[in-house]
Amino acid sequence: MDEEETGGYKEPCSICAAVEWGISDEGRFYCKSCHNVIENMGGNGWFVRVFSSSSNTRLKPSWTWESVPTLRTMFCVSFGGCTFRKPDKPTPTTLSILPNSKCAPRTQSQTALQNPLCGLPVRQRRRVGPAEQALQQVLFMFVHLCVCVFVHHHLDLWALCVCMSCDLNLSENSNDGLSVTSGSADASFYLTPRQRKSQRMMSMPKTLALCYLALLWAREAITLADLLRLVSEGCIPYVNAHEGFPEEMRLYGRDALIFRVESIPSHRALHKEAYTLAVFLDLPPFPPITQDCLLHPSLLTIRYLTEVNLPDELQDFVCRVIEQAGMEDEAFHSFRPMKSTCLLPLYDVQAAALVLVTMKLLFKLDDRREWDLANTASDMNKETPGENCFNVRKWYKIVESALTRARQRQEENIARKQWKSQKVLYTSKKNKAVVLKRRRVAEQLQMTFQKLSGLSTSPPPSSPSSFCFRWGDEDGAVDGPSLHQQNLGSLVVLRDGELQPSNSTYWHPSLRVCQDRGCKSHYEEVEATLPKMFVWLVQLFSFILNVQPSCVYEEVLKVERRFLPKVPN
Amino acid sequence: MVTKSDTRPTSKQKQFNLLTTFGYDETCDPTSIISNPSVRPTYRIRFLHMDSVGLRLKIMDDLTTEVIVPEGEYESPDEEHVKKSQGKTSNFPLAPPVFKETPKESGFHKTIRTCLQKIREAMLHHRWLEASQFMSSYCQTLEDTTATMPQLQSEMIWKMGTEILHHNPNSKIEDYNSFYERMKNSGVKQYLVVCLEHAFHFLVKGHFEEAKRQLSIAESWRYGRKSAGQSQRIKLIQAYKGFLDYLIWCNKKATLSIMDDPDAGAIQEMHSYFRQSSVNLKEVMKTPGVWDPFLLSYVDMQEFYNDHDGALKVLNNYSYDNGFPPNPNAHVYLYQYLKKHEAPPKEQIQVLKILHALVPSHALMLEYCSLLLQSGKQSNFGKALGVCLDLLDYACWRNSLDVWSQVKNILLRLRTSEGWSEIVEELMVKRKDWWPALHFTHSSSSKENGELEEIKIFVAEVLCPSASMYSYQVKRQSRGESLCKTKKTKRKRNYVTSRKCRENLKRKREQTSRGRQHKDQCV
Repeated sequence: MDEEETGGYKEPCSICAAVEWGISDEGRFYCKSCHNVIENMGGNGWFVRVFSSSSNTRLKPSWTWESVPTLRTMFCVSFGGCTFRKPDKPTPTTLSILPNSKCAPRTQSQTALQNPLCGLPVRQRRRVGPAEQALQQVLFMFVHLCVCVFVHHHLDLWALCVCMSCDLNLSENSNDGLSVTSGSADASFYLTPRQRKSQRMMSMPKTLALCYLALLWAREAITLADLLRLVSEGCIPYVNAHEGFPEEMRLYGRDALIFRVESIPSHRALHKEAYTLAVFLDLPPFPPITQDCLLHPSLLTIRYLTEVNLPDELQDFVCRVIEQAGMEDEAFHSFRPMKSTCLLPLYDVQAAALVLVTMKLLFKLDDRREWDLANTASDMNKETPGENCFNVRKWYKIVESALTRARQRQEENIARKQWKSQKVLYTSKKNKAVVLKRRRVAEQLQMTFQKLSGLSTSPPPSSPSSFCFRWGDEDGAVDGPSLHQQNLGSLVVLRDGELQPSNSTYWHPSLRVCQDRGCKSHYEEVEATLPKMFVWLVQLFSFILNVQPSCVYEEVLKVERRFLPKVPN
Repeated sequence: MVTKSDTRPTSKQKQFNLLTTFGYDETCDPTSIISNPSVRPTYRIRFLHMDSVGLRLKIMDDLTTEVIVPEGEYESPDEEHVKKSQGKTSNFPLAPPVFKETPKESGFHKTIRTCLQKIREAMLHHRWLEASQFMSSYCQTLEDTTATMPQLQSEMIWKMGTEILHHNPNSKIEDYNSFYERMKNSGVKQYLVVCLEHAFHFLVKGHFEEAKRQLSIAESWRYGRKSAGQSQRIKLIQAYKGFLDYLIWCNKKATLSIMDDPDAGAIQEMHSYFRQSSVNLKEVMKTPGVWDPFLLSYVDMQEFYNDHDGALKVLNNYSYDNGFPPNPNAHVYLYQYLKKHEAPPKEQIQVLKILHALVPSHALMLEYCSLLLQSGKQSNFGKALGVCLDLLDYACWRNSLDVWSQVKNILLRLRTSEGWSEIVEELMVKRKDWWPALHFTHSSSSKENGELEEIKIFVAEVLCPSASMYSYQVKRQSRGESLCKTKKTKRKRNYVTSRKCRENLKRKREQTSRGRQHKDQCV
């Protein structure tokens, strides 16, 4: 078994130069010939296996950070093998982890990919107490672990991230000693609901926010909306994440409350959480979002054009809009938490807003012009049979019916969603029996009715996809024919040697920034006055991104403020 | 909508009529009912308001008298669900939405809300397979840790689940059993009711022994202090136990009657069922209430064992005890029993007299009438006429040939006696104003057959001389056809004569003109 697990590690031993590694009870590598214990090993695939083969660890009645050696070791492994202790009595000296990391020598690019945070010192800008500093560092490492999870696609490790998250709680008045009612060392801080709600406590939404930061750091092409969809589809264990925990981690007492998830955070809430955390952690500037990065609007808009079945030719115009709005600059998209004015960009909503502005530029979207253009396009298609012009009326019909179906599907999925896990969570021994009984009754009733319905237990799990709709003519496409290959036809005219939209007018609502600080959006008020086609597009994107329509609308206004020439008063 | 707290076991209807759970009756305002003094104490209403799921549910329950007024809703708006401005409320009297989203709704509660909405839609459209599919998802609501009323959750599952089970084509007896067992154990308050319903289900399917077993289990169940509702339910359970014993006794009786040489053990067994049943039923019959089917089964058994006194005693008690609610059926059963056993007509008349006071339009009133006539006393003729006229006051008897001919019959016999006109006068005083419009009009006569018309013409002449126009109208209508014929021929004749006249005139004119011309020429 050892060979299987250490197979990835082929470095010769520093003492006897043999390549014969085994794993000790504590989860460390040791040389089988000279019994030299090393603390350094690479290969992220390895600790996934350790994680699954943790059955030989000692079983403890309660689990704490110290009592699950495998987990601790794993954690150390992922950070290049420094000794790590949970800072329940934090002293800054024990936490100097990152600069001391002894990563295996790699090329520079490899290091950047494998250990993006490696070597970056935690800067101290604010005056923080030792406890806060320790928390910062632990969270910092947590981000790192999340990067490992997503960069190397080891979703199994996610369980570890989640279970860590419940152990990542610190407070100024940290006391030692295990609580009687809980396994974790700091359960006493969860005793009151107020404390639980306070910002200091680690929670599942915070875990997800950290995960998002990690994704952003790794510049993965997973946006916040995608992450939330993956969570709600169950591809990322979030709702019942504790089901994936190893056997010896028995949750009870106050700890159970952390994992009782009854809600998936909204896009807005998670975005805010991620921003707050990044600022709290004093994270260094994030890697820049360059032109070739998938989060850059020029690439992200392609995705959304495909998603809503618009022709690829539109991309050219989108790029011109980006250019004119001055948004192609990578500095504009890079997140620098320590710069107080720099907010965490909403990449997905921004890309959708860019597509919307382009649509407005080409079709005007005033409930009149776009239908005139559609008539022209259909006339052209009739006159010249080979012509394949984009007809906005046809597009609207296809997308509208697909949207209606998707909304219905979403509603049914919401109604069918299972929130309660097979593994029950109880806060005390006293209510264990009640909880177990309820679980049993609910399970049996579910089985009875499932049998009565005569249908399979659940719809076949679909592989995670970044797209809500599937367009095309082949079998897999359920939403309608694809219009991606169509040309813009009469929508564009050649003017001054380059293609210009044939529509020459552009409307926009008042672009003045509302001075009221509490004000979030005026969309609700102005919705009735806006053209119906525009509102429909806003709603389409709000459905795809699962955000409020006002959020998309505000983002459109932001783009327009940059895009339109400043009119002197 | 208010249901009467009735202890009457009205067959299985009760268990099927459960759709009220969904809050269809949203139009009624809870506060108006609470403040309304006209709501009698027998009508007990409980309003339940669930903030968490966003449902407003009103469940009528005769168990609890508590009235829970809807609490104020959360006022803290979530930033994600921006509240629309409050000023926009329309003035139309719209019913409040049934499935309303609450400001701070968790994903779990949203699932529950959507699921309930889907179940409701599926049930209203009779898509039972779909409903059971969503129902399986809805069951997780039992595990809701934030539920303010866990009792209500299980009650809703119970009611909707029963409805779905009854209509689902795939449901089997095992499904029913497992479902009821689960429901019994998910709430203490429901235990007895669910047991009863389970027994009803067996009873409807004809599994009497199983049903009895269920009731025995329910009878032996104890929890906490006995509440008023609980003791009522125990009484019902006893009654049904007796009733089931009776049904089994009936089966045994039927099988024994086929056998040529019945075995003593079987007869003994039958008797033991009788004893068990009669003990329970007799006990139940002491409590005031409407116990029709139980009474009939008890009387049937007493009749079989020739205990006429016992049967009569129970029947009399059921009819005349003032503690019992007024029940016309009690008198009907008593009369039928007396008639069956050929009791003296005087006793029968006595029973029917009370029934007449309670329900003047009862079908037995015709029998009452003929009994009165049979007695031969002159004074009873007037009474008989009164009973018949009472029947005719009701629209359902308006075109009944039997009643009208009975009236004619009585009138013919009455006319021989003295002072008959006073009797008729007395009876017709109140009816004079509206009877002609009800019975003796041209429009009513057009739908009737000839025989009834003739009788009615006779009666009208005697009872309502003022309505003599009726007979005239009817007669004229019957003569209508012949009249028309003569008219037509007359017209034809007239036409013919006029033409002849015109021709004659023409001829005359011509003659005169010719004469003039002739004169002119001569001149």
